[in-house]
Amino acid sequence: MSRTFAVGLALVACAGGARAQTGRGAARRSHALLAQAQSLWRGIAVRDSVANARTAWERRARRFDAGPLTVLLPDAVGTETGFRITAGAAEYLRDALPARFLAVRVVVALAATGVDSTVRTERLRNRARIPVGVEPRPDTLADGWSVAAAVAWDYRETLDSTWRGWLPPDLGLGWTPKRDGPATVRELMRGDTRVGAGCLEGKVDACRLWLGLDADTEPYKVRYRPRELQALVSGRWFPTHQSAELAQQCAAEARDACLRLTSLGYLPPIPAGPSPRASFVRFVLTRSRPGALPQALQDRAGSVGDRLVRATGVAEDSLVQGWRAWVLTEGGMPEVTANLRDAWPVAVFAGLLVLAAARSGRWR
Amino acid sequence: MYRQILYVQWCALRLPVVLLGVLAFALPLLTVTYGGGLEGAPPGQVAQWLYAAQQIGQLVPYVAMLAGVLLGIGSWAPDHAGKHVYALSLPVTRARYVWLRFAAGTTLLLVPVTAIGIGALVATVSVRLPSGVHAYPLALTARFLLAAFVCYAIFFTIAISTRRAALAVLGGIGGLLLADAVLWGFGVGATVTPTVFMWLTNWPGPLSILIGRWALFDV
Repeated sequence: MSRTFAVGLALVACAGGARAQTGRGAARRSHALLAQAQSLWRGIAVRDSVANARTAWERRARRFDAGPLTVLLPDAVGTETGFRITAGAAEYLRDALPARFLAVRVVVALAATGVDSTVRTERLRNRARIPVGVEPRPDTLADGWSVAAAVAWDYRETLDSTWRGWLPPDLGLGWTPKRDGPATVRELMRGDTRVGAGCLEGKVDACRLWLGLDADTEPYKVRYRPRELQALVSGRWFPTHQSAELAQQCAAEARDACLRLTSLGYLPPIPAGPSPRASFVRFVLTRSRPGALPQALQDRAGSVGDRLVRATGVAEDSLVQGWRAWVLTEGGMPEVTANLRDAWPVAVFAGLLVLAAARSGRWR
Repeated sequence: MYRQILYVQWCALRLPVVLLGVLAFALPLLTVTYGGGLEGAPPGQVAQWLYAAQQIGQLVPYVAMLAGVLLGIGSWAPDHAGKHVYALSLPVTRARYVWLRFAAGTTLLLVPVTAIGIGALVATVSVRLPSGVHAYPLALTARFLLAAFVCYAIFFTIAISTRRAALAVLGGIGGLLLADAVLWGFGVGATVTPTVFMWLTNWPGPLSILIGRWALFDV
């Protein structure tokens, strides 16, 4: 605004100068005005450069470590917040990612400046950088989830196609029973597929199909009924002419068209969405020994289910049964209970209150 | 003696007790006003129905609190109105009188508890649930009983407490808020009031029963 004002003032001064060719006094006045405008301009430039230098100083990259995780954040986030973010991210990633992966990566906030020099001085040159798009404000960084999610995305890209096709984008590490459990249960209850309804009923085979744990040769045939594929197609947008035409035919109950459409890869081969699959990852992480999930993720042979069985040492059916019970009860939605565990605090507290009331009162 | 106290209490509280009974009976029935035939229901309907049922279930602890407050304070209303002359005229100790009043109030509390139990059973019988979804009429009734009982005990004690005790409670609450303000003023991250609240509402806190899961129909 001040810059615009100064430029405007200079223009007025110049215009005034052109008009003032008629008199000497007027020319002097216009010169004085021009000098004043130039002085203003210089002041603004100095102020801007100082502000820029200050911003650059505040945004200079600063190293924070938590275990094998190294993060470069803008200095403006502060020491305490920086360590909190890094520790929070490390907590999200704990037992899920191999330490050797984290040891060769450095997470770099895009808002940070002077990253190259920090990388040089901190001896991080050999590490691959993971950019994280966060502003240097503590509230946007929350509890380190942005950093953890960026690392999880990067790690997912290093996995084989079986894992990349199955895992949610953030590997499901952000899934929490309290926050995401109800959404997972609602998806299970939606009952828009036969296998989903079967899983809700407690059929383990149906759960395996719904979660896409097995390497089925014809996934669309075994996991969906033709009517379900038609329902899946309706209301969905298809980018190519061929796929749109096939979708129309599929919606008009042409079964072959539906199957041809699936071969184009526009329909999800796994009926369960990212939230239930994330809950499965979280279940494995919670209930198995430390290091089991990284071992499964590094495994490149067989289906997702086979890999998890090898890593956890638990039969696939037991894993699935355990997950179902966990999501439907303890993890996602606890049962409606009223047992001795609930009753005794009430009884003790009420008893103490009445004893207190009996000891003293208004008419004693 | 108990029967006389119960009769006196019933005379003083019959209107709120009956109203609470009607409310408690109607609440579970509201759940099934969305329809009862869910076997083979179209996709999505079960989830929506369950969501609505759970939203209605969230009202149950509030009714339990209302019952506890009304009966707890109402138990002493005749005594306050009569300046405790009736109580002093009885040939019983104060402690025994308090226990009799408490027992009579607890008996009256059973009216809304029984009503919600009957309502929950009627609602359960009237629906055909899909597999995977269960009804919890007994658990809901028992939770209602515990929640109403703890609220009743709190307000029963507050209603008969001395002025000094009431001031101590108020002072305690004020002290917590003041401690929070002082900590905030010094830039300390710790908070006292939320910690106390968490302690009260997380098991084995006495108010944890009010916070848990309240739904007649659930997975």
